Amino acid sequence: MPQYSVLRNYALRSSVRVVPAGRRSHGDPTLLILTSLAGGPKHGHALSKDIETFAGVRLGPGTLYGAITRLEGRGLIEPVASTDRRRPYRLTGAGSTALADAVADLHKVAVVGATRLGLSLGSPA
Amino acid sequence: MSELGRLLRWYPEVWRSRYGEELEALLEDELAGRPPSRRLRLSLAFAGLRERAHAAAMVGGEAPPTERARAGVLVVLGAWSAFILAGASYEKLAEHFAGALPAAHRSVPQSAFDVVVGAAVLAGVLSVLGVALSGPAFARSLRSGAWPALRRHVVRAGAVTALALAGVAALVPWAHGLTSAQRNGGDASYGAAFLTVAACGAVGLALWSRAAMAAYRRLTLHRRTAVVVSALAVGVAAAMMAATVNTAIWWGQVALHAPWFLHGTASGTPGSALDPQLALTAVVMLLAVVASLYGVVRIGRSWVDLRRSTG
Repeated sequence: MPQYSVLRNYALRSSVRVVPAGRRSHGDPTLLILTSLAGGPKHGHALSKDIETFAGVRLGPGTLYGAITRLEGRGLIEPVASTDRRRPYRLTGAGSTALADAVADLHKVAVVGATRLGLSLGSPA
Repeated sequence: MSELGRLLRWYPEVWRSRYGEELEALLEDELAGRPPSRRLRLSLAFAGLRERAHAAAMVGGEAPPTERARAGVLVVLGAWSAFILAGASYEKLAEHFAGALPAAHRSVPQSAFDVVVGAAVLAGVLSVLGVALSGPAFARSLRSGAWPALRRHVVRAGAVTALALAGVAALVPWAHGLTSAQRNGGDASYGAAFLTVAACGAVGLALWSRAAMAAYRRLTLHRRTAVVVSALAVGVAAAMMAATVNTAIWWGQVALHAPWFLHGTASGTPGSALDPQLALTAVVMLLAVVASLYGVVRIGRSWVDLRRSTG
């Protein structure tokens, strides 16, 4: 499926970031949004805060909504019915599968890296 | 419209009607009453233009391959319009260059100039062919009600072109009463009038290109026609590249053997070969070539995807 390969490519690109957390570039935010939504539906501001908390990456409003447009277009996320202007989004079935696929790829790379470095993979803080 | 709403004016209207309110709400939350910074304004302008490019299938892979190929053709068409202006400027700058060169060093720049002219003529013929091939589809689109959406483009372009033609009609008898030196910068009022008419012509060309793009976007082309039009666009891009390379060769040769021609001084006078108008012309040519190459790559990838999807 093309959307899976897009996410896999992103996963491989983002997994080799060597820039210190404070100086990371925003990059492609689709995986970050999917990961955030895996914890439950969120609107734009909540997504932005959550991503900043778990990834240390601050997405600009234009970048965030560009990615939301693309993800919704690919059927990976969908809006939750709401009367509020702050419309929440949630993962679709395809989005969950795509995220699982991308996470599995990231995990493979992380395991190889950790093994070669003699590190143990703990849970993220 | 609120101040935050105005920040979203760079986004396409369809996008704003779907996401505008949400993005405005997000901006309210993020700013918490502070005025938007210059960086935020720039980033929203950039994001809005990117959405426009996505909506026009000029970037991204969401649109069907045929739409992406069509967008590639439109990029080449836009680049060709800019190239025509640069080409006209080059043609004016290169006027009577052969006489300034020593006979022994005339053949290479003359050949390069001839290739530029030949490539421009070829690109023009290919463009006309593309228009002719799209004619029946254009007639169908007019019959199915496309005219109201095109009218304002055509009226604007027609009005500016009429103004430019009226300017040319007024300039010609004036020019006949002037000497060559007066026509080439000696007479300030003639120079200003010439530049105004040239600017009208340039705007007219840009508006006709815009009208052609709006019309082409609405066409339903048969697959074979779409393939031929795409191939013609690739040919136009190749011709632009050939013309640009040969302009560089011409410039290099004239700079080497007759630099005085480039800065308009007496024969044998030393000086810089970096004429600002020629440099600007070359930059426009180069940008047009880069844009057209992007269009060609988009066309090529789209057709590969289409071939794969149809087996």
